Amino acid sequence: MKPDSVTAHVEAALHAANLRQKAIANNMANLGTPGYRRQDVRFESLLEQALASGGTDPRDIEPEVFQPMETPVNGKGNDVDVEYEVGQMLKNVGRYKTLLRVMAKKYQMMHQAMDTR
Amino acid sequence: MSIPRVGSPIDIAVSGLRANSARMNVISSNIANSSTTRTPNGDPYRRKDLVLSTNPGQVAGVQIGETVEDMATEFPKLYEPGHPDADANGYVQMPNVQLPVEMINLVEASRAYQANAAVMRRFSELSDTTLELLK
Repeated sequence: MKPDSVTAHVEAALHAANLRQKAIANNMANLGTPGYRRQDVRFESLLEQALASGGTDPRDIEPEVFQPMETPVNGKGNDVDVEYEVGQMLKNVGRYKTLLRVMAKKYQMMHQAMDTR
Repeated sequence: MSIPRVGSPIDIAVSGLRANSARMNVISSNIANSSTTRTPNGDPYRRKDLVLSTNPGQVAGVQIGETVEDMATEFPKLYEPGHPDADANGYVQMPNVQLPVEMINLVEASRAYQANAAVMRRFSELSDTTLELLK
């Protein structure tokens, strides 16, 4: 499998989306935890850097969980907003579905190429 | 709170959800304090409003502003000589909260909340329909 193939890109992005789903679920679970700051996954910016510096295998990029520290905290030091997390989850699920669709289409094309009746 | 990606219907609807949720907080404070005759500054509870704003010319959703007190309506006076907060003539100043007004605002805020949730649901359905094209 070539390092810059469709499959490599989709696989890397799926891995990141999966991790992000876990981060969002963690945020929702910690809705009432005092002092908890919401988590997100850093991947797209890392991918951009890697591609700009000469194209590597996107699967080498490790998506990382981090705390953006961008949202204001409430009285208990918690910055999780349930509506915002629902929005993030909807967007992430959309990305995930799109990536799966692209993957399925790729396999369909390969199938057609092999099916030379 | 700044919303990272401007333009996504989901981000805009989320701002609407948060704004209406904040409005419901203010309304519930008004309702809970509809009989509060004593606050630290000596006056009865003054009803609160939430300021919502947006950037005209940009499709950017709604921003939650500050909570302001309603200075336009007067405190109504109730004749109740036995009340601990009654003045020399037996009148008590009550909060300027009218429950029917608050209830109508509450219905409006919750309907707006539902409408924003419907936007998110419809947008998800549209995305799914778009992805169907790749089947």
